[in-house]
Amino acid sequence: MTVIKPTRTDAKAVARGLIASPFDARLRPFSLYQDWMPWAGYVSPRRYDTVETEYFAIRNQATLFDVSPMHKYRITGPDATQVMNRLVTRDVAKMRDMRVGYSLWCDEDGHVIDDGTVFRFSPTDYRLCCQEPQYSWLHDIAWGFDVTIEDESHGIAGVSLQGPTSFAVLERAGFAGVEAMKPFDMMHADGDTLISRTGFTGDLGYEIWCPAEKAETLFDRLWPAGSDFGLRPIGFDALNMTRIEAGFIAPGVDFQSSHHALRPTRGRTPFELGFGRLVAFDKGHFNGRRALLEAQKRGPRYVLVGLDIEGHKPADGAFIYHRKKKEAGHVTSALWSPTCKRNLAVAELKVPFGTDILSDLWAEIYHHKEGKWERVMARATVAERPFFKHARRGATPPGRY
Amino acid sequence: MRYDSIVIGAGHNGLAAAILLAKQGKSVLVLEKNAVPGGMAANGEIADGIQGPQLAHLMGGLGKSEIDALDLKRHGLTFAAQSVPTIALDESGRHVVLQGSEASFADGGAHPDAAAFKTLRDRMVRFADKLATLTQRPPPRLDGIDLREAASLAGLAFGIRGMGKTDAREFMRVLLSNAYDAILDEIDDGVVAGALGLDAVMGGHIGPRSPGTVLTLMYRSIGGGARHIPAGGMGGAMRAFEASAQAAGAEIRYGAGVHTMIVEDDRVAGVLLTDGTEIRSASVLSSLDPRSTMMLAGPAHFDAEMVRRIRKIRAKGCTAKVNLVLNDAPRIEGLTAGQMAGRLLVAPSLNRMELAFNRAKYGELPEDPILEVTIPSLADPALTTDGKHILSAVVQYTPYELKDGWSDKTRAALANAVITALARYDSGMAGRVTAQQVLTPMDIETLTGAPGGHWHHGEMIADQMLMLRPAPGIDRYALPLGGLYLCGASCHPGGDVTALPGCNAARVVLAQETRRAAA
Ligand SMILES: Cc1cc2nc3c(=O)[nH]c(=O)nc-3n(C[C@H](O)[C@H](O)[C@H](O)COP(=O)(O)OP(=O)(O)OC[C@H]3O[C@@H](n4cnc5c(N)ncnc54)[C@H](O)[C@@H]3O)c2cc1C
Repeated sequence: MTVIKPTRTDAKAVARGLIASPFDARLRPFSLYQDWMPWAGYVSPRRYDTVETEYFAIRNQATLFDVSPMHKYRITGPDATQVMNRLVTRDVAKMRDMRVGYSLWCDEDGHVIDDGTVFRFSPTDYRLCCQEPQYSWLHDIAWGFDVTIEDESHGIAGVSLQGPTSFAVLERAGFAGVEAMKPFDMMHADGDTLISRTGFTGDLGYEIWCPAEKAETLFDRLWPAGSDFGLRPIGFDALNMTRIEAGFIAPGVDFQSSHHALRPTRGRTPFELGFGRLVAFDKGHFNGRRALLEAQKRGPRYVLVGLDIEGHKPADGAFIYHRKKKEAGHVTSALWSPTCKRNLAVAELKVPFGTDILSDLWAEIYHHKEGKWERVMARATVAERPFFKHARRGATPPGRY
Repeated sequence: MRYDSIVIGAGHNGLAAAILLAKQGKSVLVLEKNAVPGGMAANGEIADGIQGPQLAHLMGGLGKSEIDALDLKRHGLTFAAQSVPTIALDESGRHVVLQGSEASFADGGAHPDAAAFKTLRDRMVRFADKLATLTQRPPPRLDGIDLREAASLAGLAFGIRGMGKTDAREFMRVLLSNAYDAILDEIDDGVVAGALGLDAVMGGHIGPRSPGTVLTLMYRSIGGGARHIPAGGMGGAMRAFEASAQAAGAEIRYGAGVHTMIVEDDRVAGVLLTDGTEIRSASVLSSLDPRSTMMLAGPAHFDAEMVRRIRKIRAKGCTAKVNLVLNDAPRIEGLTAGQMAGRLLVAPSLNRMELAFNRAKYGELPEDPILEVTIPSLADPALTTDGKHILSAVVQYTPYELKDGWSDKTRAALANAVITALARYDSGMAGRVTAQQVLTPMDIETLTGAPGGHWHHGEMIADQMLMLRPAPGIDRYALPLGGLYLCGASCHPGGDVTALPGCNAARVVLAQETRRAAA
């Protein structure tokens, strides 16, 4: 029998496993639970403290969430606007410089590949920020055009500062000019730091971006500034609750990226995800345009709807029935919202449910009760999204609270 | 004026499309960058003012139904020689004559492989007949079915069910295999095998051992695989296409290179010529390959996936042309005058062909060139004067990208390799050459616009044939941009002078544009 002993050269190789974010050294000590999760190849916090504490901090104080793992691409060159418009469904030519726009992009069948934010610095300089890797897709889109595509994912660190006192924290940290920023505005600070008034909580909030090597300096400036304003780091779980309240959808959760779905029937159009208003047919050709025209003519096959569910059992993954009998769809995201005091869900329904048939819908919820599974049929009522809306999100100048 | 259709390129496919459209009363304008009709099958000046078949030299795949539909006979299509014999030249001097399915030595002696050759060839022709029906219309649809279904559908479409059990089993067995195995299963490697193998690979960047070469061999066997020499060179036949198009009412402009297409409201609305002239039309048929066509319209009008599929079409030419002007008729010992006027092959064996392909793969000049030679002036003396002759040699396995680069020096080296190879059979060859013309794959690209100078405008091999030709999603002639169609060799059923892509495309355009007008 041959025995294979690992040698030193076997062990050397390349780095394997998850990598630490540029904020890791500063944030890791806050973790009381050591509850980590993988996110785009990084170690990312599910929570530092209890999820409840973190959730209420987002809605009542100020919070830091490390968004460095987001994929970031820089698209520069004479054809940058054309390339961005070829990629996304909205019209970036209509965006002003130093503005951020939420958008989706589609494959040739008009099915959504991913969603994300487009940062427009100038007509020849954009950043795309998203959940899924898009480097090779961007090259496919840009073939034949005069642009340079740079993957900035590792070079740029980002932190999301969200909550009612987030402006006060920035002001205390000495970032001048933030008070004038409207939602989706962005501005440069100290040369290489970028502040955008964006976020996924539906509340007042900012995202701050800087070169990875300056992440700790940025943290050291924000953290003391937040001491009087209840600033605390948060993990994914609490953020996800506010994401659902704010009505944002997540790839892999509320829809499947068409680049990952093996079954051709799993792709969804922007219309089916409720983003028809972000499809600018009048801007000329863009990826998937012809398929989307057809899809618009044909009408949606599915719709995403907000639901108010009777009771307080979260309806994660529940089937939705019409008249308690006919399957109408399923829940993609759900929570009992402590702020809205409502049992909320986002569900994908198969047309005509959700379009023509809106009443007599029921959620079949299974819940675990001390070693026993119980099933309830809870009435589900179609509700307007976003579930959570607050005037302070848009107020300019923002309040200090 | 606004035309119903603009056709880009007056190659035979562009002209065929123009004829069918014009015959249906459509106003048609054909735009050709060169000065003469025919594209790859045009006549051109070989040297010393002698005009002849610059590239293509033998008519094989043009079927009777296309000749009739295009009125080619009425407009002057005639042949100097029909069903010419194929002579498989043998280095030992025992040349083999192949006429249809009969193989014999040039001196009339029986060839030991004659029976096996007949079985093999007859089978190929039978299989090819099943394919033939598939070539005269757009390929079967692929939408919404998976590949396994598609394969069985293709099987059905080929009509294998009607073949009988033994043939059907054999068809499925060899369909995706390679010519080398399929041929050597039946006969020994040598000039007869070489002659069959050459039909499978000619014009492609493929060797006899490349998978899928049985399918290409079947394609070449459609209609029996006979070859004819048109009167006046291939260009003579092209004049018949031109005359028929004009008689049907189509207008042809030479020296009119298309620079870009005009696109309005997601439809092509006309073209801009290199001289700045703007011409409008309701539809545009391009006989160029998909990539060149896409670049004329602008990649901005195509989804990224389609751009990628089009970018990735393999089209690396591997065939050069060496044309010689001779001061005297060549003579090969043991061949009759009639045989000399036929199709002379230098393809000693499948193994030698595969080795020649290897050199080409690595960018080297042919050392032991594989040739298809005709001397059209023997059957058609009007081509030359003063007893001169044209020798036309297709040099299979000449790389598009030569390691040492194409230059006058390397071009001359290629001509020398050809002359040396021929001198093995006719020792006086070198002394007869008064002028030579060498057209490398790169030169062919410059001359005709075909990507890589590729004979078929895109490799003919299973993954780029039928519903995968020229690329998935554009197999039925229409491009995703409204009003824009492909009509050249890059589309189903592929290259050679068959006029099938042009005819098929015109029929699709007629159906679709009529439907559009009705809507
Ligand atoms: C060396 C060689 C030998 C061959 N020998 C044979 C043979 O013996 N028998 C056989 O059957 N086949 C042969 N073939 C293959 C055959 O010639 C081609 O497959 C066939 O002619 C293709 O016809 P087509 O009309 O599709 O395209 P082409 O003949 O290539 O025509 C395209 C036309 O478009 C024109 N064009 C290009 N760009 C523009 C532009 N921007 N604006 C306007 N016009 C433009 C070109 O000038 C050309 O005239 C040979 C090919 C080669 C390369």
